[in-house]
Amino acid sequence: MDTEISEMIKVAEACVKCRCGCCKDECPMYSEILEETISPKGRNVLIRALVNGVLEPDERAVRIAYSCLLCRRDEFSCTAHLKNAEATETFRKYLVDRGLPYLPGHALMIKSLENYGNPWQEPKTARKRWAKDLRGRRVVPGKTGTLFYVGCTFALDQSLQEGPAALAHLMELAGEDFGLLLEDEVCCGSTVKRVGNSRLFEKLRKENEKRLRETGVKRIVTACSGCYKTLKQDYPGLGKDIEILHSTEYLSRLLASGRLKLKNTPLKATYHDPCHLGRHTEVYDPPRKILESIPGLKLTEMKNTREKSRCCGGGAGVKTAYPEVSMKAAVRRIIEAEKTGADVLVTTCPFCVQTLRTAAQSIGSRMEVLELSVLLDRAVVDKGGAR
Amino acid sequence: MLEPAIHEAVRKELVAAIGESKVLWMKSDLLPYTKDTYRIRFEHEYKYFPDFVVLPESTSDVQSVVKIASSKKIPLIPKGGGSNRTGMLVPVYGGIVVDTIRMNRVIEVDVANLYVTVQTGITLKELEDRLAEHKLWLTQEQGSLRMATVGGSISTSGFSRRNHKYGTIADRVMSLEVVLADGSILRTGPKVLYTSTGYRLHQLFIGAEGTLGVITEATLRVEPIPEAREIVLAFYSDFWTAMAAAQRLLASGIGFSGAETYEASDMDELVAPKGLKALLYVMLDGTMGEVEAQVDSVKKLVAGTGGVLGAHDVALSFLTSYVEQWCGARALTGFEDVITCYVPMEHMREFYDKLWGDIGPRHGIEPLPGEKFSFDAGRYKMAGGRYWLPKGEHAWEKYQKVLREIAVLATRLGGSVQGCHGVGIQHRDNLDLEYSEVALETMRRVKDAFDPQNIMNPGKKLPERK
Repeated sequence: MDTEISEMIKVAEACVKCRCGCCKDECPMYSEILEETISPKGRNVLIRALVNGVLEPDERAVRIAYSCLLCRRDEFSCTAHLKNAEATETFRKYLVDRGLPYLPGHALMIKSLENYGNPWQEPKTARKRWAKDLRGRRVVPGKTGTLFYVGCTFALDQSLQEGPAALAHLMELAGEDFGLLLEDEVCCGSTVKRVGNSRLFEKLRKENEKRLRETGVKRIVTACSGCYKTLKQDYPGLGKDIEILHSTEYLSRLLASGRLKLKNTPLKATYHDPCHLGRHTEVYDPPRKILESIPGLKLTEMKNTREKSRCCGGGAGVKTAYPEVSMKAAVRRIIEAEKTGADVLVTTCPFCVQTLRTAAQSIGSRMEVLELSVLLDRAVVDKGGAR
Repeated sequence: MLEPAIHEAVRKELVAAIGESKVLWMKSDLLPYTKDTYRIRFEHEYKYFPDFVVLPESTSDVQSVVKIASSKKIPLIPKGGGSNRTGMLVPVYGGIVVDTIRMNRVIEVDVANLYVTVQTGITLKELEDRLAEHKLWLTQEQGSLRMATVGGSISTSGFSRRNHKYGTIADRVMSLEVVLADGSILRTGPKVLYTSTGYRLHQLFIGAEGTLGVITEATLRVEPIPEAREIVLAFYSDFWTAMAAAQRLLASGIGFSGAETYEASDMDELVAPKGLKALLYVMLDGTMGEVEAQVDSVKKLVAGTGGVLGAHDVALSFLTSYVEQWCGARALTGFEDVITCYVPMEHMREFYDKLWGDIGPRHGIEPLPGEKFSFDAGRYKMAGGRYWLPKGEHAWEKYQKVLREIAVLATRLGGSVQGCHGVGIQHRDNLDLEYSEVALETMRRVKDAFDPQNIMNPGKKLPERK
C-alpha cells in the first residue's frame, strides 16, 4: 500500500481510539462551521469508515475533506500530536484517485496551472510585470549566487507586488548578488499538492526542480511561505544541494551583517505566523528578530501566537472553495490583532496578506496589514535612493 | 432508523422549521455522531447512526425540533462537546441528535451580582475567556474544558479540579431554561443562588444526561478572578505516603482550591529526586496575603509529612501541561478506560488492594504506567486509575465484569460508581448498587412526569423497570 495512505489510516485508527475532540480547540474551520464532521476528529472517523468500506465516498465526503486549512493548529491541541493535516492532504489525494470530482474553484485553478503554469489564469509573461526595473537581474546560470524565487501569487497579484519589489530593493541595498527567473519561473506546485492533485504536482515539481538546478545558484530565497514549505519539504533532496531560505531568515542575516541600516520607525506592530512558515517549517524567530531590530517599533504578540497561532483562513484551497468561511476565520484573526493595540499587522506570506487585508477592510478595521519586507523597506536607510 | 418515507417527511419538516444549514442527514455527516468516547462493543462500531443531527442556534430552534420529534415520538439526544465517556450520546434508538454547539452566546454578565447567563453550547474555555474580560471566572477547571460545553457539564454533573474551594458546576447553577419533551419552555426559577421558595427544579437537570429535557440557557454563579494564584508541588516516596499527606492537608483546614495525589510515571521530567514515585499538588487561590500564608502552611505540611518540594517553575509548567493532557493520549495508549469512583478516605487502601490485587489479575486488566493510583483530595474523594481493556476471547464480557466488580467494590465501601463521568449506557445497570428500588422508581416517575413518551435520550441513565 502507498506509504502516505497507510500513514493516513494509522492516524485515523489512532484518533478513533480516542475521539476526545481536543483537536476542535481553536480549529479555525470548526470554530466557524461548528459541526463535528468539520474537525480533524470528524475527518478521521470518516476516513476510517471509507477505508473499511462502511461508506462510499460522496459529495459530503468531498466537502469534509476540503474543509480543512491544513494549518496544523490541531497538532498542538492533540495530546498525541497526530499528523492530521498530512492525513487530510492524503485523504484528498485518496478521493481524487477514486474519481471524486474537484470542487469547482479547485478545478479552475488546476486548469490554469495546466495551461499557464500558475493558478491565477495569467499568461506566463505576466510573471515579470512587477519587475520592470529589474530586467537586468535575470539569473545567469553558473554565475548568479542567489535566486530570488518570487512565487505565483506575489508575482501576479498586483496588490501584493510591493512585496517582491521591497525585497529586491533590500537585496540591492545590501549589495547582494541575486537574480530572477522572471517569466521562466514555474509554479512550485503547492496549490495543487494541497488539493490532492499529486499527478500535476509531480509534473510541476520535476519541471521546476530541473529549472532551479540548471541555474547553478547556491541559494534560493523566497518570501512566499507556501513556496518555502514546498521547496523545502516536498522537493526531496533539493535542500541538500541548494540552500533554501525564507526571506525572513535571509533578511535576518543581512541585518546581522550590518549591510542594512534602519531608521527610527515609531510603530505598534503585531506579527501573524503563517502556517507554512510557522508550524510547518518552524521559522518563528527570524521575523520577530527583524521586527525587534527596527528602532521605535513595539512588537506585541497576539493571544494565539507562534505554534498556537490561528490560521488566516486563506490556505489549502479553502478560500477558493469556501470564501465565506475563510473570511470569518480571517476576521477573527483581525479582531485578535486589534486587541493587541497594534496599528500594523505584519506577516510574511502572500495568502495571509491578501486574506487578512480583505478581512480588515470588510469590517472597517484600521489595522494595516503589511508584508514584512515592505515594512522593513520603509524602515531602511536608503541614502542612495536606490528606488 | 426511520422508514425512508417518514425520514424524508421529517427531514422536510426539520428543514422548513430551522433551515437547511442546521440539519444534517447524510451518512458522511452523521458518522461522528454515532458515538462519543465510550468504549462501545467493537462490532457495534457503526451500528448506531442517528437519523438526523440538528444544529440549533436558539431556544426557538430547539423548541421547533422538539415539537417535531414529540409529534412523531422520535428520540432526541441532546449533545454538548461530545467528550463524555459513558455512552450517553450514543443514539441507540436512532433519532435526532440535538447538537447545541452553535448555541454559544453569552447573554448577560452581571458583575454586581456575580452571575452570567449563557446559551448552553458555549465551551467552558470560551466562557472563561469571555468572563476574563470582566475580571470574572467560572472557577471550573476540568480536563475537557476546551471542548466541554456548559450544558454538557451540567448534564453530567462535571468535575472541577478546584472543587474544594469553588465546588463543581453543580454548585454554580442558579437557574436554567429547558425545552421540555412536549416543546414547552421551562424556566426553573429566579436567577438567584439561594431561595426558599418553590421546588428547586434546576437541581433535577444536573446530571440528568439529557433525559429530562434540552437545557438551552444557564445562569451560573461566577467569582472575581483571584488576586493571587499558586501551586505547590511535592514529591513522596510512594502513593500511600502522599495520600497520608493529602489527608493531613484536608484535616489542616487550609483553604486550598484543589489538590490531587498520584503515582506518576514522569517524575524525571518533573525533576523529582531519584526514587520518589508519587506527587501531591495543591492549588491555592485568593488575595495575595491569603495565598502567601497558605503556601507557607502547605510547605510546612509537606516538610512534616516526608515530602520534598518541587521547583516553583516546574510546578507552574506541570499545571499547564497537566491541564492540557486530559484525554491521556488515548490515541497512543489504545483501548483503555478510566476509573472515577467515589471512595471514602478510610477505605481507599482496601479499594486499590482489591482492584489491582484481585479484580485486575482475574480479568486480565493492568494499569497504564503512572495511572495506577490517584486521589482527588478535595471534596471529591475520587479514586482514579486507568487500565487497558481485556483482550482476546470474550474481551467485551470480561470488560463488563470489570466494570460491574469495580462498581460493586466502590459501593460496598460506601462510595459511588461514578464521581463525575455520569451513567450513560455504561453504568445504567449498576445503579441498583447504590439506589434502592424505591429510589430508582421515584427517579423513573420523575422521568415519566417530564417525558411521558420517553423520547429524551432513551436508554440512558436509568435502568429499565424489572
